Amino acid sequence: MSIVEETRIALLEMFPEFAAADAAARAAADKIDDEMETMIDEMDSIEPATEGDAPAGGDDEVEAAEPAEAATEPVPEPEEPEEEGPRENGVMLTDHAARGTDIDVLCAPDQVVQAARIMDESGFFLEAITGVDWIKDDKLEVIYDYNQYGQEQCRVVVRTLIPRSEPEIPTISDVMPSANWHERETHDFYGIKFIGHPHLIPILLPEDADFHPLLKDFKP
Amino acid sequence: MSEYWNDVIGGSKSLLIGLSITAREFFKPVVTEQYPWVVPEMTERFRGHIELIKDEKTGKPKCIVCGMCMRGCPSGCISLAGKKPEGEKKKALTKYHLDFTTCSLCGTCIESCNFGAIQFSKDYNLASTRKEDYIFDLLKRLEEQG
Amino acid sequence: MTVPIECRQDETFVLNLGPQHPATHGVLRVKLTLDGEYIVEAEPVLGYIHRMHEKMAEDRNFAQFMPNTARMDYLHALAFNHGYCLVVERAAGIEVPERAEYIRVITVELNRLISHILWWAAFLLDLGGFTPLLYAFDDREQVLDLLERVTGSRLTYCYFRFGGVYNDIDDEFITGTYAFIKRLRSRMPTQYHALVTGNIILQKRLKGIGIITEEQSRRYGCTGPVARGSGINYDIRKNEPYSVYPEFDFDVPVYHECDSMARYMVRMDEMEQSMRIIEQALDKLPDGPVKAKVPKILKPAEGDYWASVETARGNLGHRLVCDGKKNPYKLKLRSPTFCNLSCFAEVSEGMLLADALAFMGSLDLVIPEIDR
Repeated sequence: MSIVEETRIALLEMFPEFAAADAAARAAADKIDDEMETMIDEMDSIEPATEGDAPAGGDDEVEAAEPAEAATEPVPEPEEPEEEGPRENGVMLTDHAARGTDIDVLCAPDQVVQAARIMDESGFFLEAITGVDWIKDDKLEVIYDYNQYGQEQCRVVVRTLIPRSEPEIPTISDVMPSANWHERETHDFYGIKFIGHPHLIPILLPEDADFHPLLKDFKP
Repeated sequence: MSEYWNDVIGGSKSLLIGLSITAREFFKPVVTEQYPWVVPEMTERFRGHIELIKDEKTGKPKCIVCGMCMRGCPSGCISLAGKKPEGEKKKALTKYHLDFTTCSLCGTCIESCNFGAIQFSKDYNLASTRKEDYIFDLLKRLEEQG
Repeated sequence: MTVPIECRQDETFVLNLGPQHPATHGVLRVKLTLDGEYIVEAEPVLGYIHRMHEKMAEDRNFAQFMPNTARMDYLHALAFNHGYCLVVERAAGIEVPERAEYIRVITVELNRLISHILWWAAFLLDLGGFTPLLYAFDDREQVLDLLERVTGSRLTYCYFRFGGVYNDIDDEFITGTYAFIKRLRSRMPTQYHALVTGNIILQKRLKGIGIITEEQSRRYGCTGPVARGSGINYDIRKNEPYSVYPEFDFDVPVYHECDSMARYMVRMDEMEQSMRIIEQALDKLPDGPVKAKVPKILKPAEGDYWASVETARGNLGHRLVCDGKKNPYKLKLRSPTFCNLSCFAEVSEGMLLADALAFMGSLDLVIPEIDR
């Protein structure tokens, strides 16, 4: 199994409703695979048999192959988001060549700690934390980028939306110590309060700064 | 204990090797440039501040006052003006100021100029203690060059 | 040696290292709580040269932000050029001609070479050795002259453009580069390794000092030579190949000692590898255009994009969020040294002050890049 697939399954833990469906789909796919394998084995064993038996084996194959295709189809993108409307929470695979990321997760603000824990257990490191100010939707987006040292490429981005009027989100600095500085930086630039952060004082801005320059309505 | 003596002997040897290398270098010719006496020549692509190019036929600047350089500049350090002289079709340049204090020599202005009217100069002796010395009047500079 | 000590709070005192201290290579301040000569607590204080490049990116169009990229990491400016070009090219779907890619690799690797040379010189200056600085600057000057011939500037290059490079390289640059590599190869064993690497004082000051374990390295998100000195085989050029790097044969030096000496050796070996890449690129340099046709005002499609490059200090990431307008909606810079430095507080605990300075030097800090 590729690391992207492994990580996707690990992340699905956060979304039990998808995880159950996904696990069922995967089990079905595995079962079909197994059946196919055993069938191929049978075919192999049949082949040296008499010619009269061959058509019967062929019929079996046709019957078995149809449900296999039907079952595998929904597996690759079980929660493909629609183009219109806001995206629903879930795990999405992205094209690395076009986007630079492999897995894109949208989750609720209180799930980021769980996500960090899953990433930590899977051996990922935190690349960056940043925010995006969607002033039109009155939302702030917090983006966590994870990456790993393995030879196979897998970059995971975890994003969540919080209200602009009350920008609060739990800290992940007790899971990933590197988040400490990244969260301070994000607090500097966007005014996002990381609840539970041990030392949330300005890091890049002056120590008495009470402004947040990357907010779109910031006036110098 | 043997490690200690290894360190002492090996260490002294490494120091002697280092000293022999520096001693050899000592007798090699000087590599630094003797700047005030020897003046370096700038390469062809050296990026000094920008300057206007003269049109050889008319003796006037090639600039047609389109303002593309002004708009392309990331730090807004170019300010120019022009007006149409009586009886002529084209605008003539009347003012071209470069605020060198904010210029970062990126060359965006030269790239955005479709008429090849500006280029990098080769000046590098630009030290001064006054800010005003860095507001260059490029039109005047062109006239002075003759 | 790091000796764990029992510290009595009433006997500690606070020492401000920096912001104007030669060993911090810029304006980094470290608030040290000391017990005698031992560090009880260290807290780096950043932001003395913070310029808010990310906000500047939002105010300018894509091409206008280009000169800013070189002003962050002034030692490996071309890699920052490259990283920004990559993310914008990914967003706008621009194809780069092959010759331009080769020129990019050659210039970036030359730049990496002199970045490591200057780090080497400054690091040894921190440790008290002045002579190597002069040899290093002699070599660095050669490369600066070569790059000046091509790019027009000596330090803060603005050479790359979306879809290519500003102008082509000439034969004199190619022969000059070959000659430089030959010269550096002949000087490497003597002026670099025999004089410094084998030196007993250097070994005694670096071996076993500033140990960043593999696990610490991961938890703090260390990349580049710092991670490779901790036994992690991670190099963006290999792990997430970009540009034409897959076409070259080079190794990623990895050392498992996790100490300052390992990081030192990684950088020394990387210089060799950079020379190998440059030679191969010059040998294989194809003909063709050096710049694709790109509209002057770019308007990439909506969405967000990430691109990483390997700078001399580690993984530089750009996250670009576009909203279909002519300037970036948001540009996030993931600077490698920012993450590498974040482990300083934990690792330097219980160290001697002089060892902490050696450790800080081995992290290869470039302050404008941390502060952005």
